[in-house]
Amino acid sequence: MSRLVKKSPSLCTDRPLDNTDISNKLNLLRQLLKSCFGPTARLKQVHNNIGGHVVTTSSSSVLLPAISSSQPFINLIKTSILNHVSRFSDCGLFAAIFCLALIEQAKRSGLRENVSIRVNKHLLALCSSYLQQEDCGCKVKLDFCSSHNLITLARSIISSKPACVLTEPEALHISKLAVQAFLLTVPCNSPGTVSLGKTVTVCVEGYSVLTSAVFPGLLVDIPDGLCLNKFDHLSNPIQMVLFGASLAGDLSDLGDGMIEVHAGVDTESQILDQLLELGKQVVKDEVKLFVCQKVVHPVLQEYLRSHGIIVVERVGITIMEPLIQLTGAQPVATLHTKIPSKAYGKVRELSMKQFGSKTMLHLQPLGESVICTLILCHRNETMLSELKVVCQKTEHVLRLTLREPSALLGGGCTETHLAAYVRHKSKNEAPETASVLGCSQTEYLLGVEVFCQSLESVARALQHDGGNSLVDLTHAHHWTLPADVLEEHMEDSLGFCGCGLVESSPSRRWIFLDTKYTEFSPVALVGDSPVQPRVLDSFTATLSALQVATETANLALDVRYIIQDVN
Amino acid sequence: MTGLQQREHWRPTCSMGVLEAVILRSFGPEGGQVLFTRDTGQAMLSRSGTRILRALHLEHPLARMVVECVLKHSTVTGDGSKTFILLLASLLREIHTAASKEPHVSYSYNSLEATEAATARHLADKLLAFALKELDDLIAMEVAPHGCCISWEDFSAETHSPAHTNNHVVQKLLASFFHMRLGYVHCAFISELTCELLNHWKCIDALPSFALQFLKNNFPALHTPVSGFPITSSRLVEGQVIHRDFATPCPQTDHQPVKAVVFTGYLQPRSLNTGDVIVHFSAWTERSLKCIIAHLQSLGISVLLSAVKQSAAVLALATQAEMCFVECVSEDELSLFAQLSLVNKHLLLFNRYVHVAFHNSEERVKAKPCSLIICGPGEGQTDQYACAFQDAIPKRTVQSNKCTSSYTHNLTDSSTCTSSNLHSLHKCVLQPGCVIPAGGTFEFLLNHALLKLSHSCSASNDTNIGIPVSRLLASALLSVPKQIYSHSPGQFLQTRTRNDMPSKVFRQDLGLESVSCKYQLLLAVLQCVTSLLWVDTVLRTHTALHTQSLADASWESTEDEAED
Repeated sequence: MSRLVKKSPSLCTDRPLDNTDISNKLNLLRQLLKSCFGPTARLKQVHNNIGGHVVTTSSSSVLLPAISSSQPFINLIKTSILNHVSRFSDCGLFAAIFCLALIEQAKRSGLRENVSIRVNKHLLALCSSYLQQEDCGCKVKLDFCSSHNLITLARSIISSKPACVLTEPEALHISKLAVQAFLLTVPCNSPGTVSLGKTVTVCVEGYSVLTSAVFPGLLVDIPDGLCLNKFDHLSNPIQMVLFGASLAGDLSDLGDGMIEVHAGVDTESQILDQLLELGKQVVKDEVKLFVCQKVVHPVLQEYLRSHGIIVVERVGITIMEPLIQLTGAQPVATLHTKIPSKAYGKVRELSMKQFGSKTMLHLQPLGESVICTLILCHRNETMLSELKVVCQKTEHVLRLTLREPSALLGGGCTETHLAAYVRHKSKNEAPETASVLGCSQTEYLLGVEVFCQSLESVARALQHDGGNSLVDLTHAHHWTLPADVLEEHMEDSLGFCGCGLVESSPSRRWIFLDTKYTEFSPVALVGDSPVQPRVLDSFTATLSALQVATETANLALDVRYIIQDVN
Repeated sequence: MTGLQQREHWRPTCSMGVLEAVILRSFGPEGGQVLFTRDTGQAMLSRSGTRILRALHLEHPLARMVVECVLKHSTVTGDGSKTFILLLASLLREIHTAASKEPHVSYSYNSLEATEAATARHLADKLLAFALKELDDLIAMEVAPHGCCISWEDFSAETHSPAHTNNHVVQKLLASFFHMRLGYVHCAFISELTCELLNHWKCIDALPSFALQFLKNNFPALHTPVSGFPITSSRLVEGQVIHRDFATPCPQTDHQPVKAVVFTGYLQPRSLNTGDVIVHFSAWTERSLKCIIAHLQSLGISVLLSAVKQSAAVLALATQAEMCFVECVSEDELSLFAQLSLVNKHLLLFNRYVHVAFHNSEERVKAKPCSLIICGPGEGQTDQYACAFQDAIPKRTVQSNKCTSSYTHNLTDSSTCTSSNLHSLHKCVLQPGCVIPAGGTFEFLLNHALLKLSHSCSASNDTNIGIPVSRLLASALLSVPKQIYSHSPGQFLQTRTRNDMPSKVFRQDLGLESVSCKYQLLLAVLQCVTSLLWVDTVLRTHTALHTQSLADASWESTEDEAED
């Protein structure tokens, strides 16, 4: 009998944004994420209450899942950002900080929620169309003839994660490896639909970052190192077979029904006989490499080894897909039927590689292949796991450039530039836009100010050491003034702007980011300048982050009531 | 077993006030969303009145009865639940004020409260009688001429002239619905998308309602929620999206037609017979599998869809035969696939899902199959949008039914509350499919008409029962537009004066509402008011827990009271 409990009434919160508890929590979340933003970010340690694994990180994809709130309003924002990160891998903190700033500023401005929402939506459309324009002042076209910009893009992502603890040369080394691995996974000459390959990442602890390397082909871990046969005698190409089913002689996958064991019938030896039968065929077909996803029966292993075959077992499901792509083998899962000849795969060369404690078998493809292996080394486990996450993100971001070969200026310059553009554009069109949006002109301009200040607050969040954020009044790029510099020595100590495109000169005029300035049309300089930007952000990820953040903020502003089922 | 525990006096006005307060947050163009979390921790967003009311888990049995009435009403019309609550609350307030001002003389009670309650009951009865007798004529005479009629033909005409889509009534109706359900920001985009979806699915031969019914039934299989993208990335894709990935490598088909076959069971024999030797059995199953695959291969089949997870051996053999396998496809999707796959199709890999595009060359299917991709930053939002889509389709069905069928049985299923004289509705002379601009127009017009009626009645010194109640109803009606324009009282007055002058020029930007839905809503509210006021006591009883819950028990006793 089921227990019948009276349902308790739901917990209700009216106007969540006016609720002090919720606004405090939102503020706390914003401060927390703000402090994780950029190359000089403060790190966060995440550990649970039962003494588990400690993670040191500053990346949103690790940090946000660790933050759990009983408040559904917070979770709503959190899941939106996490969904964005899962799709684009980058700009999670950007989206989160921008979104929270928008909510907070809109609340503080005292605008009606519906007016805020309409203005935000309009300005978002303005920003997106500007960013997609050819002559957009904060966009850089990526040229695939040179790897320079790709490496810059990769390095911007890698150096924005200080939890990896990389020195300048180390960061550059990893960026180069990331770009190299990415290029290896792009097929060179396949017509029609292009399908990208895969980078398999292997982590090796305890070695210098500079020993990290990329290999074309696949490195398969061999834990026992038993197959140290000589590879010289192997004829080229090497025939291999790939098993997807267990060869341990177990009785899994048999189905339902009664099993009747006859006295005197040794089922185990019958199965083993069957396995050895398989072994004989493999030997006869001159297979030299025998790979199994699961366990191989020791007797079968011994039999195969005695015939000079290299046996690799327990490779796991994750490596099966790249193995199939690399060798062209079809995984075999039947034990009683003859292996068809086309199921065999081929490998050009086999060699052993030693990385610290790891012994690995290096499989090189016969022709061109889109599989490569990235060996990542770092001094300890925490840094290594962060480095692995960062490398995977970098790969994803580099892949996104194939669809849209552009990047945005980094270092906060895109944000300040966009804010200046939006201010200028909306000031000019205020009367018409306000009537279309159904609000007064004052309301509209207040909404614009909310949006722009929120954008600029993202640029300001890059600064953690008490420095000041400035914007120049020609290109509207973002500059950082260290805390201990007097204002009269400003132009000497400014050097370059955030993205490194604009250099300080006596004729330039700056203004502090949090002060009001008369709006102007920011001048674009990409194209006529020989200087290459030093920091680049992913175009696709930033654009989507901008959209997701605005939509999430709009949603949060639109929520007027919370009903929590507490049963 | 049941014992009288407690008697309490029922105060409808104050209980309804609480419900009203929740509903108001999401009412009208200035209203927002309500976020609620289920007991599973899953978050949902909604502006839909029915969903909010359901989520509240109300305790008071009469409040629950009201919610029941609202839900019944909105399943018929697909809309109007928030207006229901607002009207109900404001009517109760009006009745209360009227009752406290002039206690009915013909009854003699020992307390003031009881006297008031009796007057209120009396008023409610008169209101209902008045509404049943005169309201339909009044609406037909005074309100309907200000609206216009739409029919399914308008909807189909739109397909031929997509250039006029923007200023079309159907899209307006949808836009108004989505505005109410999803908010202003994306309503235009979403209603356009819905129109496009409906146009794609419109069969040339079949009745329009058939296409709508088909869409309604297959909606779960026809839409794909994708979170992590902005809402504006939502779009239609041709063909069907099967929400599974390939289990075996997918061949490059280069848009060539391929043959597919659907399995609902296991391919590998799974039951052992007694006496089988295990090794022989597994050898036999593999042989039989090989035969099946070879047979399929000889038929030229290259795609296998399966409702269940197949064994590794099946997948390996299929791969060797260069067939691709899609496992664990849901029932809904398979049935849709079966209905659509009278034609050839080709396959593409899309976003980790299988995307089937159907060839349109075949003559049997005139509709263009397509499915909807709903994008949103979070699951809550994609769910909300999916629900709104789903609700929009029946709303269209209601509209189109009204247009195509004879009007005599239009309103028969409006039995929202337990009332006896619903048959009188048959004499309704309202034109079906009549719509009127949204934004309080109906309420303003009817208010005006009711006031005119009460004036003329009092002028002719006729002691009709309509005199006090029509005025009462008129002022209750005004509460709806008052809320719509709550942010600017100036606009309220402006709109009111504009509507008091009978003219055909209205604000068109707020969308459209169906007049007959509004009429049904009014009747339903009045019936609900009557039944609420006839209850004077709620008995809370306690039952030993066996099959009935506590709530059920107290609900029953309330019904008994109500029937007294």
